[in-house]
Amino acid sequence: MSDTNSEKIVHGMMAEFTTVDTLLSACRRIRDAGYTKTDAYTPFPVHGIDKALGIKPTILPWICFFAGLTGTCIALTMEIWMNGVDYKYIISGKPFISLPAFIPVAFELTILLASFGAFFGMWALNGLPRFSNPMFTDPRFDRATDDRFFLYIDAKDERYDAAGVRSLLTDTGSDYVSEVLEDNTPKEIPRPIFVIWGVAVAASVIPLLCVLLMRVTNSSQPRFHIFMDMDFSPAKDAQQVTSLFADNRAMRPDVPGTVARGQLIGSLDVMTGIDVDSLQAMNAPQAQRLVAAFMQDDQAAIADEVTDVAKAEDDKETPSVMDTTPWVTENPMTVDSELMARGQQQFGIYCSVCHGMDGKGNGLVNQRAQEKGFDTWVPPSNMHQDTLYSDKYPDGKLFSTISNGIRKMPGYAGQIKVEDRWAIVAYVRALQKSQNATMDLIPEGRKEEVKSAVDAAQKELQRQADEAAKAAAAREQK
Amino acid sequence: MSLAIPNGLDNTVERPGERAPLVLGNTNYHDITESVCQVAERKPSAGWVGGFLVAFALLQMLGLLIVYLIYTGVGVWGNRAPIFWGWPIVNFVFWVGIGHAGTLISAILYLFRQEWRTSINRAAEAMTIFAVACAGTFPGIHVGRAWLAFWLAPYPSLNLWMWPQFRSPLLWDVFAVSTYGTVSLLFWYMGMVPDLATFRDRSKNKYRRMIYGLLCLGWSGSSRHWMRYEKAYAILAALAAPLVLSVHTIVSFDFAVSQVPGWHTTIFPPYFVAGAIFSGFAMVLTLMIPARSMLNLEKLITIRHLENMCKIILATGSLVGLAYGTEFFIAWYGQVPAEQFAFINRAFGPYWWAYWTMVSCNVISPQLFWFKKCRTTPWIIVVVCIFVNIGMWFERFVITITSLSRDYLPSAWAYFSPTWVDWGMLIGSFGLFFTLFLLFCRTLPVINMAEVKSSLAKQHHMAHAAAEHGEAEH
Repeated sequence: MSDTNSEKIVHGMMAEFTTVDTLLSACRRIRDAGYTKTDAYTPFPVHGIDKALGIKPTILPWICFFAGLTGTCIALTMEIWMNGVDYKYIISGKPFISLPAFIPVAFELTILLASFGAFFGMWALNGLPRFSNPMFTDPRFDRATDDRFFLYIDAKDERYDAAGVRSLLTDTGSDYVSEVLEDNTPKEIPRPIFVIWGVAVAASVIPLLCVLLMRVTNSSQPRFHIFMDMDFSPAKDAQQVTSLFADNRAMRPDVPGTVARGQLIGSLDVMTGIDVDSLQAMNAPQAQRLVAAFMQDDQAAIADEVTDVAKAEDDKETPSVMDTTPWVTENPMTVDSELMARGQQQFGIYCSVCHGMDGKGNGLVNQRAQEKGFDTWVPPSNMHQDTLYSDKYPDGKLFSTISNGIRKMPGYAGQIKVEDRWAIVAYVRALQKSQNATMDLIPEGRKEEVKSAVDAAQKELQRQADEAAKAAAAREQK
Repeated sequence: MSLAIPNGLDNTVERPGERAPLVLGNTNYHDITESVCQVAERKPSAGWVGGFLVAFALLQMLGLLIVYLIYTGVGVWGNRAPIFWGWPIVNFVFWVGIGHAGTLISAILYLFRQEWRTSINRAAEAMTIFAVACAGTFPGIHVGRAWLAFWLAPYPSLNLWMWPQFRSPLLWDVFAVSTYGTVSLLFWYMGMVPDLATFRDRSKNKYRRMIYGLLCLGWSGSSRHWMRYEKAYAILAALAAPLVLSVHTIVSFDFAVSQVPGWHTTIFPPYFVAGAIFSGFAMVLTLMIPARSMLNLEKLITIRHLENMCKIILATGSLVGLAYGTEFFIAWYGQVPAEQFAFINRAFGPYWWAYWTMVSCNVISPQLFWFKKCRTTPWIIVVVCIFVNIGMWFERFVITITSLSRDYLPSAWAYFSPTWVDWGMLIGSFGLFFTLFLLFCRTLPVINMAEVKSSLAKQHHMAHAAAEHGEAEH
């Protein structure tokens, strides 16, 4: 300090030792000489040096204790608030504030914060990180982290005087004593550091700029979905192709052995039109096959059934299965006006196109086919022939025909529900009856009403016929 | 000396009234600095480069598989009903267990004043961190939508409007493993600071000096700093010791708190902790034995160090064996049919091969360490330790898979088969581990130089005392 011409500030004096024992005895000597602003620099912690230098114990354990306590409090407050107050959630019948279950997290946070206290507290008390240290100016000091031991007396010590300290340190057996000087030479940061720093800063701005750009830009495109998170359902329509199933069909068949909700209508009798109990008595194997085909969706049984029917159709000699099967003879639905109305509607939709609205077998499709003269066309049956009346063609057989088809007619089981097929059966019976009805069938109370209605209808028909005749005559005159 | 090892490297003989030396040869402080620093300062050997390339390739595979998993969904694993905890959880528990030896060596052996820990604790702690990194990967990707894993944290979310469920062991696990990872990292880094200062002071290269200078926070070796540093180190050790026990206890709660037969047992916490230490020490030895000869560290990591670790393996291996037996006893004694079935099924059911692999590797193979010859012959130790690692992986497999595959509902029973992704991720996690470990060997001080010098100082001190009594050094 006395040398004002020197640009360098003297920080203190250091002495180098080669062994722990010489260092320790030197420490004791300078302590006894009354120096307090002292320190030793060693490559490893030297035990007994705190006593030799008079270093006071640290308050670090207290910092650590309070940090740990803070951790416990934070954890318990957090758990009690979150699970016991703000978001109550019943789990395993435990109380909302279940202290034993809160202990593990409280324990972990106590440890975590206590560790932070010890770790960061230690660096803070040590004044680290500190990258500029006058001790480092002496190249010999590099060995302080290898195998040399240094003793240091600070110039701020009130007893410090350069010559006295130097002689004292030399006297303790040190072979190298040197002043520690402030290093005033400007330290240049290497240029590549700036390049790396500049690139890093520039790169870190890019995401921010992207976000800002997005904020101020209008886009007609929907936003990016990096993670779909089930935001969009990949549901398929019935006829679409999908890779999810081996058969690539999006629409799934029923699982074998199961019946979908709402599809089980009464018994097997209702679903097939066959009196299954009688069939069981007559022809047990066929009954079992029938059950298998219907209830288990057994492909082999269905194939057998189909070939059997086909064979019976071709083979005119032996009686057909259609004739031998014990059919249900009575419509299992409750026949009322509602069912009739339904049957009429369904008949109008599905049957009338071929069979005609009156069931006489002359629907629009038939008319067109006759016009065109298709030679493969098999005319639809007229329903008003006595072989189709209920005494020869039981209800169950009619139901089965609607369901499975006959000759060129395809089965309608896929399109028409079971109840509706039975409704059509009921309606067909009514249609058949309508062609041969007599007044005897009308209930007493309504006879007059019906009679007048029939008369009115006949008159109307007569009027229409007359008009048609007149019109024809008029055309001929022209 | 019947077990003469060349170069006077045998320090396994017990002499009454004398402590066996832990640093061998005529070594001084500077030799310790040299022998540790040369590992990172010399050019990498062909072996290191080859090993690193293999490990790095496996790490890339792991990364690609994780991308594939996240892109496709967890269906790429073999996890199927009812085994929803398949290999990812097996691997998680395996790696967390491996980590425990590092903390045990650095914290618990420190508290018990086991001086021999000094030359192995750094690498063991590094191993802890890397194993926890491997472990943390698996639950992170096992949550399915990995990009929402932050939902595990208790943060006020305007999207969720809810808080985590603090009565679940799975959430305890999040806190335990992350606390463990953080504290281990702090402990490891703090322990390394004085050695990083040594690296800084030896650097010839300006950038190297700058990087190590930043990393060591300007450490000068001041005694006032050392005093607080040692206090902080002791506090961290005292905190890490119960922490390490709590972590595997909580991992075992993931199983024990559920009601699955074979999991719902109170023996799980001590049993898991013993198993973790067991597997961790086996992994430390598996790594250290090749490393000490490749890096020329035989004078610092001596046969006595290896022998001590073998003794711990023998003790913990026998503890684990006792736990296996106790589980069966309690299953019989408890008279719960589902439990009894679970254990009979473990040993004689469809996974009998896994169970008996586990028993032979974990219980039978360490018994070789009753013989001093086996405890002091490095290649035998490596072989046994590899068996122990295999056995401990199978232990987690047996616990996780057998119990889940045969739970209370027989109609749901299934047999687990891993997919190629499962295999790839298990192998890839070793790639992650070894990549980090090999990088560590090249860039950071592999041995705690300051502590080894400190114990050398004590050794010199005691040698002086012995010489005064007329006893000769061997």
